[in-house]
Amino acid sequence: MENTYLTKKDVIQINEDTFIVTFNEKFKFDEGQFIMIQTPSLTRKPFILGTWKGNIAVSVQIKGKGTNYIVFQGEKFKAHFPLGNKFIPPAGKGIVISSPTCITLANLLHEKYSCDVLIGSKSKINFELPFESVIGNEDFSKKIKTLKTYDWYLVSGSKQMEEFVLSNIESKNVFVSLEEYMGCGIGACKSCAVFTKEGVKHVCTDGPIFRRDIL
Amino acid sequence: MNLNPPLVIASGPGGSGEYLRLINPKYVGAYTLKTITLNPKPGNKTKRMENLENYIINSIGLENPGIEYVISNIDKFVLKETKTILSLGGDSKDEYIKIAEKIAPHAKKFEAIEFNFSCPNVKKGGLSILSDLNEWQEILENVRKILPDSFLMAKLSIEGNFVEILSRKVKEFGWNGLTLINCVRGLLIKDGKIVTGGLSGPILKPIALRAIYEVRKVLKDIYIIASGGIYTKKDVDDFLLVGTNAISIGSALFKDPQVVEELGKYLKGVKR
Ligand SMILES: Cc1cc2nc3c(=O)[nH]c(=O)nc-3n(C[C@H](O)[C@H](O)[C@H](O)COP(=O)(O)O)c2cc1C
Ligand code: FES
Repeated sequence: MENTYLTKKDVIQINEDTFIVTFNEKFKFDEGQFIMIQTPSLTRKPFILGTWKGNIAVSVQIKGKGTNYIVFQGEKFKAHFPLGNKFIPPAGKGIVISSPTCITLANLLHEKYSCDVLIGSKSKINFELPFESVIGNEDFSKKIKTLKTYDWYLVSGSKQMEEFVLSNIESKNVFVSLEEYMGCGIGACKSCAVFTKEGVKHVCTDGPIFRRDIL
Repeated sequence: MNLNPPLVIASGPGGSGEYLRLINPKYVGAYTLKTITLNPKPGNKTKRMENLENYIINSIGLENPGIEYVISNIDKFVLKETKTILSLGGDSKDEYIKIAEKIAPHAKKFEAIEFNFSCPNVKKGGLSILSDLNEWQEILENVRKILPDSFLMAKLSIEGNFVEILSRKVKEFGWNGLTLINCVRGLLIKDGKIVTGGLSGPILKPIALRAIYEVRKVLKDIYIIASGGIYTKKDVDDFLLVGTNAISIGSALFKDPQVVEELGKYLKGVKR
């Protein structure tokens, strides 16, 4: 874990409100890990790390001043990383079901494990993605019901998306990337608690990706 | 207490030493651990934190593993890189006394022991321990006897009574210091819903300054650690001016852990 600086390389708009931000820096991290990026906001914000066109990249949905700053104003950011645990998928063919907010992780896993990727987006996607996508809730629900044969599933998106996948896919190998408000990202502040079958866990140090059976 | 620099990591935001992986311990005078209670506490339900322009509101609810766990893993909790301040809390007079008894054999390992009389985020204990002043004074008296050699600090907020009145009691019972102030109870409306919690961050600074100013007027020689909205050199200067002995960094860690290095360096240079 270390302090670092990120300098912005490119910003690519994915849909109505979500952007890929790539950085000039090269550094080591594992799939599933995240970074806390500083903005003018009082707390740094967590972003799951991934890649896009060979660069380290995060995906940012505009939610407020901090995310707006990362996409439109900031050029150089203080940050600390790499945080959280490596996601090691079980053997076999897997699929990452993701909203545009986790597209760079999906891309990284796709490159590393040749897994399939399904992007579920609320609004139209601006360019041709290297993997399958569906727009709107209705098409998303239909599509999910056809996905029964994979050896593992990783869901990374909204709570609504996660719940839908969990209630429609029975496999024990469904993994979920959880989101909770994070103050520190390093296990200090206890803001990111989740109450699981195994007791209180923290998304930043025990996750961010959890297998369904403990949730 | 002699801290160099007189900069303390506040109880809570700093967890139990995690930030030492991001900050240079040379600039940390002492690291206060997150408050420990007699029994483990799972904490409140989430969402536990929100941040707005100039404040954070949190409702962590003293999530902690309990004192037995700390004692069994004492080497993990006594930090090697810096001096450690232990923070203890309770739900009742008995709990405060019991926890003091339990830690007594290990008390020497800590630079100071701070008793949290001011957590706004638990139903019992925390702030409400001040609702019966007689009981609270019994705690002060008994704990002093149980931990005769410890540097004892009381962490107060501005609620419960006038802080200068409570501070006088702390001194009367032979305690050594005060941490002023803890989070203040706050409320925020988010999407039409009420969110309650403790306020921290820049919004606390004028309240903490006033509290220390009032206490210093009546107590010339008690050790005071300032807590509340300290982010910049100007903040440090202001707190020193009202009679603070050491400053503490809490919420500022969430914005930029390197603020510790910046302010630590500054404090090493300041003549006091
Ligand atoms: C997330 C969080 C958790 C906290 N937990 C504790 C705690 O366990 N014990 C305690 O005495 N104070 C606790 N506090 C209060 C801080 O130690 C500090 O007094 C307060 O936040 C004001 O300082 P600041 O503005 O620098 O954060 C907590 C504060 C925050 C933001
Ligand atoms: S974000 Fe602070 S403990 Fe997880």
